[in-house]
Amino acid sequence: MKKRAFIALMVVICCLVVVMPLTAQQLKLTVWGRDLTDGEPDHAYVTALIKDFQAKNPDITIDYVALGDPGLADKTKITMAAGSGLPDIFQTWGGSTMGGYADAGRLMDLTADLGSVPGSAAARGAMTWKGKLYGVAPFFAIAGVFVNEGIFKANGLGIPSSVDQFERVADMLKAKDIQPFACGEADKWPGLALYMYLTDRFGGDIFSQAAARKARFDNDAFVKAAQLYQRWVKKGYFGDKPLGEKYGDAQQLMATGKAAMHITGSWMCAQYSSKDFTDQQIGFYAFPAMKGGKGPVTDIMGMTDIGFAATKVAASRKDAVVRFMKYAMSGDAAAAEPGRVSSVPGVKAPSALTTMASNVFGTAKLVQFWWDQNLPPAVTTPLNDTIQTFFLPDTDVKASLTKFENLATQNMGAVK
Amino acid sequence: MSEIARTARGRAVFISLMLLPAVAALGVFMYYPIEETFRLSFMRSSGLGDAAFNGLANYQFLFGNDEFRAGLAHVFLWAFWSLVIQLPLAFFVSYSLILYRNRITKSLRAVYYLANILPSTITAMLGIFVFSNTNGVLAALARKISWTWLAKLDFIGDPTLAFWAVFFVATWMYTGFPIIYLMARMEQIPLEIREAAELDGAGGWRYARAIVLPMISYPLRILAVLMIVGSLKLFDLPYLMTKGGPGDATKTLGIILYNQGFVNWQYGSAAAVGVVIFLLSLVLTIAQFSWQRKGGEAE
Repeated sequence: MKKRAFIALMVVICCLVVVMPLTAQQLKLTVWGRDLTDGEPDHAYVTALIKDFQAKNPDITIDYVALGDPGLADKTKITMAAGSGLPDIFQTWGGSTMGGYADAGRLMDLTADLGSVPGSAAARGAMTWKGKLYGVAPFFAIAGVFVNEGIFKANGLGIPSSVDQFERVADMLKAKDIQPFACGEADKWPGLALYMYLTDRFGGDIFSQAAARKARFDNDAFVKAAQLYQRWVKKGYFGDKPLGEKYGDAQQLMATGKAAMHITGSWMCAQYSSKDFTDQQIGFYAFPAMKGGKGPVTDIMGMTDIGFAATKVAASRKDAVVRFMKYAMSGDAAAAEPGRVSSVPGVKAPSALTTMASNVFGTAKLVQFWWDQNLPPAVTTPLNDTIQTFFLPDTDVKASLTKFENLATQNMGAVK
Repeated sequence: MSEIARTARGRAVFISLMLLPAVAALGVFMYYPIEETFRLSFMRSSGLGDAAFNGLANYQFLFGNDEFRAGLAHVFLWAFWSLVIQLPLAFFVSYSLILYRNRITKSLRAVYYLANILPSTITAMLGIFVFSNTNGVLAALARKISWTWLAKLDFIGDPTLAFWAVFFVATWMYTGFPIIYLMARMEQIPLEIREAAELDGAGGWRYARAIVLPMISYPLRILAVLMIVGSLKLFDLPYLMTKGGPGDATKTLGIILYNQGFVNWQYGSAAAVGVVIFLLSLVLTIAQFSWQRKGGEAE
């Protein structure tokens, strides 16, 4: 009996000695993302990335956790605050939110490892904070004007080449009972795209000066842009009930030909070129310049569309993290995306609409990051709240902007 | 030491040991977080380990902030209309279900409670489905029957209507529990009292007014306190339906707390909002208990 027990014990120990080194060689990376790996076109890149990376790197297992939006942002914030339970890699838009985590020492500096990975300067800039690179952005979105070319052609309208022409075109569309602009301002953030462009066209790179506290957020350019915005709202360019329209409703209005234009990010290229989503002929154009304005048409608003950053908990598996990041930035991985504008060189745009957006991106001489990704978190929701007040006809927009400036002063310091 | 004393002391020790886990859990999960919230409300913190004491600045910021004042007004308005609309409605429905007993009213009990057990995300989605001005049920009905006045109404996007749209959905969601609770209390009224009232000619709604209402006044006060405290903590429905908008039209203290903490990274301000909610709830609960003691009623 004792002999049998001894033999059994030796067998178990031998098994452990053989198996444990094998399992020890299998590295595991926990990745938090926004998208489900469900085969939906919008999630195609992430689905393929997780699957193909593991196939090409059999020594690495990816534990991918899909958290949706805003689930990803909320959970990331809470775990970053707690400093525990962090993933190895998480999906992020970069900018000031990522910067906050970097300042708190939660992120891994990958400048030396990823600095030479080819990609667009704008995408690299979005993942850089105070001179250090914390991740990669395989896809970069720019804001532009989606135009229902069918409606324009049917009504003999040309694509507006100036802000004044926008108004004339919008008046003509309104007269034909077509909503000129879809927006989705019930969700607060969609209205920012147009306001960023109007402010730039009036004042040039005035936002960067305000963000650096060299100008006020209620200076002339910001106020004039807000006043124009409010005038357009009062004229009904955003429909009769703009604050009842959510972003999903805006997409539906464009998809069904009830709205003629949609000023939003190029992430919509996949849906607006999908025959399952819309039968409308939709094109993508740069936001035009303004006669007498400072900002040229080559000033483009953009932000990371899909980006990944790594946390300090992955420090012991840095090699695996870098391999994942480099694969995410490869042509093979990017080819799976059906609609977004890739920042990976040499990747063919997946649709004619994405080609149009890429071409607009290619003309950019100045890329201004989306304001609510570029300001401290303490002021980003108030910024979107302020813009939403432009949609209320009785709002004193200058007073609204002054209130925002006061909040910016409290959180970012006074204007120097 | 005497046998009695040893037994008494032993019993005391035994009881203390039995209570210890519950007290420890209460301390860790309730009193410690309350203390920490109070402490954090006097700090400036982004939640990423950079807390610094800044005195009453968070409270000064909140009470000088239009958004906070709007949130405070909204929760009191919500409490007021809950007492004026939801409580009487619950009483009316529960008494009707008892007065008119048949197969239909029996199944209606489950229907009324169903709204209460649905997750608030589902209820909010249903609310948007009804009130959305693009694809909503009301908008589609208005277009179908050519009621242009209804088609023009923007329930979600109009600051004057958004509060009522959310309140309407909340009434459907939150009235189920009071209905079931009041029905249970009404059914406990002794049969002899009911029969005596009927003999005296107090049947139907007269019986409700003269007998039932006074006899269930204590449960009604409990429900009133629950509604008021619930209003102070309100978050899910307005956040899911309108995110507190348009503008500040449906902002509540709960939404402001969430935005300050998880969106704006101002944990100190968020904690200050939490303290305000806590103190208001405490004051109102104490007031209710005092009123009950003065009234001399007890179950």
